[in-house]
Amino acid sequence: MKVQKLLFIIPVFLFAIILLASNVEKTNSKNNANARNENLNKLNSEENFNKMMAVLTHQRCMNCHPSDNIPKQGEDSHPHYFGMARGAGNLGFEATNCNTCHQDENNDFSGVPGAPEWSLAPHSMRWEGLSPSEIAESMLDKKRNGGRTHHEVMEHLTEHALVLWAWEPGIDAAGNPREKPPVPVDEYIKAVKEWFEAGAVIPEK
Amino acid sequence: MTKKKTSRRKFLIRGGLGTLGVLALGTYVFRNSMRRYMYEMSETLVVPYSGTGTEANLWFEITSDNTIVLHSPKVEMGQGTFTSFAQIVADELDVNIDQIVVKAAETASGIVDRMSTGGSLSVAQLYQPLREMAATMREKVKVEAAKKWDATASALTTKGGIVSSGEKTMKYAEAVADITDWSLPDTPKLREESNYKYVGKPIKRIDLIPKVLGEPIFGMDAEMPDMLFAAVTRPQHVGASLKSVNTAAAEKMSGVVKIVQKDDWVGVVANSYSEALAAKRKLEIDWDIPKKWTEEEIRSIMQVGKGDKMITQKHGKALDPDDADVVSIEFTSPIGAHAQIEPNGALAYVNGDKVTVILSTQVPGVTQKQVSEALDVAIENVNIVTTYLGGGFGRRLNTSHAVQAAQMAKEVGKPVKYFFTRKEEFQHDAFRPPTHHIIRGKANGNGMLDALEHHYASGDVAINSAIFPPALVSMLGTDVGAMRGGNIMYDKIQNRRAVQWHTTLPFATSFWRSLGLLANTFAIESFIDEMAIRAGKNPVNYRLSMLGEDTLALRIKKVIQEAAQKSNYKDEVSGNMAMGFAASVDAGAPCAHVAEVSIEENKIKVHRVVCAFDCGLAVNPDQVIAQCEGCIIMGISAACHEKMTLKNGQLYPTIYGPYDMALMKNSPKEIEVHLIQGVDAPLPVGEPPLGPIGAAIGNAVRRLTGKRLTELPLRLA
Amino acid sequence: MKISFTINGQQKSVEIENGSTPLLWVIRDTLNLKGTKFGCGKAACGACTLHVNGEAVRSCSFAVKFAEGKNITTIEGLGTKENPHPVQQAWIEHIVPQCGYCQPGFIMATAALLEKKPSPTDADIDANIVNVCRCATYYRMRKAIHRAAKIKNGDS
Repeated sequence: MKVQKLLFIIPVFLFAIILLASNVEKTNSKNNANARNENLNKLNSEENFNKMMAVLTHQRCMNCHPSDNIPKQGEDSHPHYFGMARGAGNLGFEATNCNTCHQDENNDFSGVPGAPEWSLAPHSMRWEGLSPSEIAESMLDKKRNGGRTHHEVMEHLTEHALVLWAWEPGIDAAGNPREKPPVPVDEYIKAVKEWFEAGAVIPEK
Repeated sequence: MTKKKTSRRKFLIRGGLGTLGVLALGTYVFRNSMRRYMYEMSETLVVPYSGTGTEANLWFEITSDNTIVLHSPKVEMGQGTFTSFAQIVADELDVNIDQIVVKAAETASGIVDRMSTGGSLSVAQLYQPLREMAATMREKVKVEAAKKWDATASALTTKGGIVSSGEKTMKYAEAVADITDWSLPDTPKLREESNYKYVGKPIKRIDLIPKVLGEPIFGMDAEMPDMLFAAVTRPQHVGASLKSVNTAAAEKMSGVVKIVQKDDWVGVVANSYSEALAAKRKLEIDWDIPKKWTEEEIRSIMQVGKGDKMITQKHGKALDPDDADVVSIEFTSPIGAHAQIEPNGALAYVNGDKVTVILSTQVPGVTQKQVSEALDVAIENVNIVTTYLGGGFGRRLNTSHAVQAAQMAKEVGKPVKYFFTRKEEFQHDAFRPPTHHIIRGKANGNGMLDALEHHYASGDVAINSAIFPPALVSMLGTDVGAMRGGNIMYDKIQNRRAVQWHTTLPFATSFWRSLGLLANTFAIESFIDEMAIRAGKNPVNYRLSMLGEDTLALRIKKVIQEAAQKSNYKDEVSGNMAMGFAASVDAGAPCAHVAEVSIEENKIKVHRVVCAFDCGLAVNPDQVIAQCEGCIIMGISAACHEKMTLKNGQLYPTIYGPYDMALMKNSPKEIEVHLIQGVDAPLPVGEPPLGPIGAAIGNAVRRLTGKRLTELPLRLA
Repeated sequence: MKISFTINGQQKSVEIENGSTPLLWVIRDTLNLKGTKFGCGKAACGACTLHVNGEAVRSCSFAVKFAEGKNITTIEGLGTKENPHPVQQAWIEHIVPQCGYCQPGFIMATAALLEKKPSPTDADIDANIVNVCRCATYYRMRKAIHRAAKIKNGDS
């Protein structure tokens, strides 16, 4: 019986090995598909990342994320006229501050831009001079982003009126329309959401 | 007592000097001995008032509450003239200063200065006539009171607006009530200046309280019942003109009353200013732009050696430019904007054949003439009412907008108020012309100058301006505005000459506070300083040794010595600071500045300015000092900040901020002004202190950096 | 649209078609308070500075609809001849104005500054007072601002 049993076991064993082997093969093919998807995702993610960054590095956003304490203005990002600076709460000086001139919406009569919560980004959120990847790192870093989770950052980037102002930037003092970011707003919002949903992967430098 | 019959508009008192004197202002050119004589006279003499109504009764109004209203032939644009006038009147008319109200005369009164309020001449011109007229008026009050009391006028006394005969008293208003006979007595002897209660004292400005309370007193504040608002198109490009316009979209805009089309402009008349402005944006205009001027083209035109040449000063021999010992330095100054805060504008109403225009103008007489011609209305039917001016600085010598307002008012049959947008102000200013200077000098073995020449090129200042008719300009032979400060004041330099080159630019250039003085003094006094450094001489002593013994030279020496002494001037760098010295003489008023300067973050910072100024008799010393302070800071602004440029055929910038100006943070924290009374009459004060400041700063920078800055605005590389 | 606000202590309502019309024009042309000046219309010169809920605001760039329910003070409501605001008092003592056109804006900006910084330093003044005065009365203004702080703080 022992032999018989063994004889029986061996084929089972073999079968199991074959099965195993075939399983191994199956696992391998699944891994390949995953890799392909991953590559695709990575590509999508990178594309999304680039779209997002094309917007965030545009002067409409960058002018208020300076590396120094001076807000910038215009397409050439010159220092804000009249010596305006960050001040204590990122809102300018005590009596002459952002809201002395900037209100909740653009003013076509004066050409002064406006949106709710018009202010300079905090110093921790300085972007000027950073690479897109460094901006993203800064943006995702709770120590620097005002303690925001990824989801909250995503919401800020896609819903905050001050951010979306970039696509409704109004006219300047001379009556000329301000330049909008290079990506349409819908496309930008979609790209930001997808990038976050895909794990907010920052492409390697 | 004798009486002389006078009628309205009769020309008297100044013995007919009026218009003749105006010619004397700039008449000079040396080849013509008469011109030369007149020019030299004009260096020290003040041009008389050139109005036509010189009867006291046209100037003064006494109201029933015993207020004295002075109708001023000159306008108030900040220079404090009304206050000085009130002081003069109070002393000679014998009233308290708070009884006096000063108003800019309407052209209908016939007494406005036909020329302008400008050249810093108001007090200087009117000091004597106004004293005489106030004294005449006081005499008139006494004569009338004497009639009422059946007394002798000479026995009456006056004080504080009250006329007395022994125990009996009467207010001036009572004395002159019901007057029908406006014949005037002879002007009595004027009072001793030493007995004056107000003249010579630092009285508070009479417009101080209204200005601090924000009372509505400016052209922009003018209102008429049922008034409409307008906005007018102006081309953005230099030299552009209107080709065609589609008004369809603009006409549909809310509040639009009428679109007024003329050959070279389109106006939108609406119920409110914001509606007029919004509709103006909807005008589709095709502009004819023959050419897009560049900065380089303007610079290449504005060169010594180009345009019309005129020698404006010649003593001794000319330098040989090929002489190896000749030092030659070139200087430039940019296009400057007036940038006064109250925009130009006008409120006009045409009622039948009568026109009224209310505005801020320095030339009510010229404005009246232009409106009369444009609307084909008799000049006496055009009344120009001048308000307080929200800054003048020469900008309000050009008032074509008054004509436009009147034309629109005529078309809609209602009062129309129209004013420039700020962009229009910046692009359609009558600018301070850019200049180019070549200065050549030759020193002797001692380092002292044997020869000095100033060759300078400028655009129009007086030429092509509404206040200097073309015939007068051709008679004068040169641009008398551009030549201000252009001649060399150091009379001990044996060989000295100044040569003006003039070109009319493709955009309007005109009077800007101090005219040529700012740029000319910058060039000459920078050069003098450089020669002193090269000769190893103290720049103060260097200057003093080149000035002789005639009256003017002595007065110039006095301000130089005073500024050096009061500032404790030292020709050395002390810590991070250095002092710069410069001096000038303009309209007979010498001025010297010492500027204490440091360089912070590669920017020039002026910490302290000491100014010595011989203003003659200061009717109101506080306001003379205020003019000096203003000139110094406005001069810092022009010398270190301001510049208009051409970009894509347009003049830029078009707004404050980009048009960089000195603000609070750029103003020196210390300004010391020392007044000197070198002559017994008041001299022009609103412009001469603008002369030396640019050079004084540049000369300090030379000591700090070793580099001679030759271009305004002064900037470090 | 109807917009209601308090101005210089008085309740006012204005009817206006375009709520984006700058507050400046409503104040000057509808309410006929001419002390607030138009200089540039671009929030650059500061001549139109007034207070909205105590904050300095450049009214040429402030849509009237944002004034709804707010408390506005203009130069006319700051002080009177008999009872000038400390800033006005200091301006009088130092004889600051020349042409006077920009002065209401400077006075309002200074009054707002003193509420935030009762004793401003020169640096505070440089940073906060950035209006434009073409007569360049800055030298006297700086002295007057320090003086106004003293008057307001009661150590005059």
